[in-house]
Amino acid sequence: MGQLNIAVIIKLEPDFSEGNVSYNPDGTLNRAETKNTLGPHSAIAAHAAFFGKVMYGAKVSIGTMGPPMADLALQQAQQISDAEELHLYSDRLFAGADTLGTAEVLKTGIHKMKEKMDIVFSGHRASDGETGQTGPQTAWKLGFTFLGNVISYTVDMETRILRAKRLISLQGTPNIIEEIEAPLPVFISIDPTYKSSFDKVSQRLAFHKYQKEATERADNYKDYFTMFNAKELGVDETLVGLPGSPTIVYKVERVPKSTATRKAEVVDGSDPEQIKKVVAKMKEALDAMVIK
Amino acid sequence: MEKYDVAIIGGGSAGLAALKQLSNLGKQAILLEAGSEIGAKNISGGILYSKKPQKGTVVNVEDVYENFLNDAPFERKITKYILHSTSKDKVYSMDLTAAHDYQSNFGYSVLLHKLNSWFAKQAIESAEKFGGGIIPGVHVKSITWNESGNAIIQTDELDEFEVKAVIAADGVNSEIADMVDARPKFTPTQLYQGVKVIVKLPEEIIEKRFGISSDEGAAHLFAGDITLNHIGGGFLYTNSDTLSVGAVYHYHSQLTNPSEPSALIDALLKNPMISEFIKDDVPIKSKIDKSLPQEEQLRVRFAMAKHIKNWNEIRSSYLSSSGRQRLIDSGKYKTDEDIKTRLDGIENQLTKLGVSFGSDYVEAEYGAKLVPDGKRCRMQKPFFKNILFVGDAAGRGVFVGPKIEGLNVGIDDGVRAANAVARAIDKNDFSANSLGEYYSKETENSPYTTDMKQIDKNYLKIFLDATKDIPKDIIGSRYGPILKMMSNERLRGIAVKFANILGYDKLLPMIESEDTYVKIPIQLAERLGNTVSSSYSPSIPSLADRIGNLSYNDDHSSHIKVLNPNSEFMKKMVTLCPAKCYTEEGGNVIIQHEGCVDCGTCSQETEWKHPRGEKGIHYKYG
Ligand SMILES: Cc1cc2nc3c(=O)[nH]c(=O)nc-3n(C[C@H](O)[C@H](O)[C@H](O)COP(=O)(O)OP(=O)(O)OC[C@H]3O[C@@H](n4cnc5c(N)ncnc54)[C@H](O)[C@@H]3O)c2cc1C
Ligand code: SF4
Repeated sequence: MGQLNIAVIIKLEPDFSEGNVSYNPDGTLNRAETKNTLGPHSAIAAHAAFFGKVMYGAKVSIGTMGPPMADLALQQAQQISDAEELHLYSDRLFAGADTLGTAEVLKTGIHKMKEKMDIVFSGHRASDGETGQTGPQTAWKLGFTFLGNVISYTVDMETRILRAKRLISLQGTPNIIEEIEAPLPVFISIDPTYKSSFDKVSQRLAFHKYQKEATERADNYKDYFTMFNAKELGVDETLVGLPGSPTIVYKVERVPKSTATRKAEVVDGSDPEQIKKVVAKMKEALDAMVIK
Repeated sequence: MEKYDVAIIGGGSAGLAALKQLSNLGKQAILLEAGSEIGAKNISGGILYSKKPQKGTVVNVEDVYENFLNDAPFERKITKYILHSTSKDKVYSMDLTAAHDYQSNFGYSVLLHKLNSWFAKQAIESAEKFGGGIIPGVHVKSITWNESGNAIIQTDELDEFEVKAVIAADGVNSEIADMVDARPKFTPTQLYQGVKVIVKLPEEIIEKRFGISSDEGAAHLFAGDITLNHIGGGFLYTNSDTLSVGAVYHYHSQLTNPSEPSALIDALLKNPMISEFIKDDVPIKSKIDKSLPQEEQLRVRFAMAKHIKNWNEIRSSYLSSSGRQRLIDSGKYKTDEDIKTRLDGIENQLTKLGVSFGSDYVEAEYGAKLVPDGKRCRMQKPFFKNILFVGDAAGRGVFVGPKIEGLNVGIDDGVRAANAVARAIDKNDFSANSLGEYYSKETENSPYTTDMKQIDKNYLKIFLDATKDIPKDIIGSRYGPILKMMSNERLRGIAVKFANILGYDKLLPMIESEDTYVKIPIQLAERLGNTVSSSYSPSIPSLADRIGNLSYNDDHSSHIKVLNPNSEFMKKMVTLCPAKCYTEEGGNVIIQHEGCVDCGTCSQETEWKHPRGEKGIHYKYG
């Protein structure tokens, strides 16, 4: 039947959750003050890889391009996916890369991984400004079949064919779920609605066993971790960083904030009078909502 | 369909012991637990005993988990066991440490979330070696049998699967017993209703107040007016840095004269002796000046909340030797004085915000569950086809005097069931005649079963000795002659024999009466008791606040269905449901299931199920 090898490409992103994010007075993100974390879409990709681990005993590797502190994201993704290989591609030369320059680094990294990959997962997009091309471009560079918006998948380990469900939403038409088949290797950009489900006793047992293993591994993530600079990675320097990036951001304009149509009012919850007012307002709103 | 040898249903202490033992014997076993994690659904008093009976042997917790004594997160070794009779501000105390120590290696106070999680960790490690393990978040909803006699297990969450044997460890409100009709539902006469709260109190305050060292613990028991005229009593056990304060009352007596379970707890907390036991320094928030701008009011409110949280955390570590060490090890502080300085600093800031400090108590968790009285409800043959019932599910708990032994009995049962299943696997015979009967005989041979059947005259003597100095007229006409007979060594043997011939059925209504739990203790307190006073009155949270403080994973539809909304029984549930899930509207009783703590009190006349996997109550202490 053979082994299934899965790679996940992930990204360290600002943590937009309350208490962790910080903004400059002009409303832009204060990157220095904001904590970083594994991007939410990357986390979903790691979950999809863990599904392969539980169902098919896959070997999982994770790669990311980023600053040295991005090892944090690798550790978080390892905790989810029980990966046994963590790659960080970090070099000043990579700075200023657009999605194409990033894809080149990731492609080279994936080739550097111990196993020959059967499936590569990426998140749907990043939450801090990248617009979703890194995945498809990496797939193109790898020469893998690209499957976008995947919400579930299975692998026939005999025939080495992957079956996937894709969620297609087009404006103005109802959503469609498309079922497709593709021979391995494939590159999957995972849909934000993806959720693993395990319906068999044996799968649940494997799930808990590997989850425990993942925690143990993530506690010692350094044992699985390798950092590569441009030279160690052996990338073609004309294809990465600024030189490898055909798009140049020459101006950033803020979309003007539209003025809010609703007004917020601070209410003191310990004052019965004020609460009465709130209840009255809610009643008013609810009355208006009743379908007669 | 997937096939396994054995499935254990329920991950309380009984089911976990069965899993550990099967793995110890090299057998594959899987355990299904409805809660989202092990320990989320279990609640006890509780003291976990290790016993050494004179006749026969039991399997103790440290026999199942070899590293129990070194590694397990128990709370305190109970070294003092005192019974208090109460009437208003009078308390008469009797030392019953001898009863606690009777035939026991030790008794530890425990909190089940923590302890069962630890048991699970040990059990999983062993079980995984043989391809087994624990699957949390799965609720078993039906068991049927195929033509080869194997059980088909259906759950709300997984594909159905097949097993050769089942160990039902699903607790006092066993759905398994119900769905296969293995026994009738337990009746109120066979059950006790238990309620308890966890009270926070720093470690070193506990030690000073209860006169114990860091490796000792105290158990205090209460009877008298705190029972609000019910049969049963209250308890207060010292944990590491919390107290368990609870009440256990005969369910029948609760149905006859219903008291709200939370009111029974409140009666305890308001007793001056207990008020003083639970007392702590607490920050008292000031009213925020309403004339300040609203943003400023909010700022003050948030600042108060943040500092109070910090103060609580640092103080509870500061008042614990291991806590201080932890803070120093973390590198944030160099010495104990550093920590104290920081604590004083926060206190200063709080004072500036208008916070003052006063006496009160801090409640951390409220919970409830039925307790089976093994004397009255143990299954005579705890099996049905290839299902073996263990622990509470089999109605097996030793309930004699003030002591409740359910945890140790469940562990012993779990091991006996595991041994029986391992034997069946080796013989490849899972028939009721072989597997079931063997297990049944094994439990019948357990010294715990003897305790559920007969009075032990030596145990009884301890209580008689304790009552030696009590004027005879208090004990009254009812017990006078019995006591006299019992206090005579020779006659005691005869009397106990005679009593055992009568059997618990006839005896219990005589012993477990209002006289024993209410009237005599009140008289004792009034005539012989000391006056105890408390320097404050505890501000007891409302039931709504107690329920609001619990964690739930709400299910949209109710796991309990009311069958007869205008029966007398259901009307009593309005009072007796510890979470006030029932209300009466226009003569009909309706349920709002969201606050349900799965106690089982209403199960008599409802279609009662546990919530689906991961849903419902999630205890943090238990
Ligand atoms: C207030 C109080 C005080 C007590 N004091 C003491 C004491 O001091 N000493 C002592 O030894 N004992 C004491 N007991 C009794 C003791 O707590 C119990 O006997 C013991 O906890 C029972 O363990 P168990 O494993 O049999 O059941 P439980 O702990 O009830 O476990 C049953 C498990 O099965 C799961 N389950 C149920 N149905 C299903 C299903 N269909 N599918 C999947 N899972 C399911 C539940 O979620 C639960 O986790 C006390 C009890 C109470 C309530
Ligand atoms: S609804 Fe029933 S089971 Fe739930 S807390 Fe109330 S009495 Fe207990």
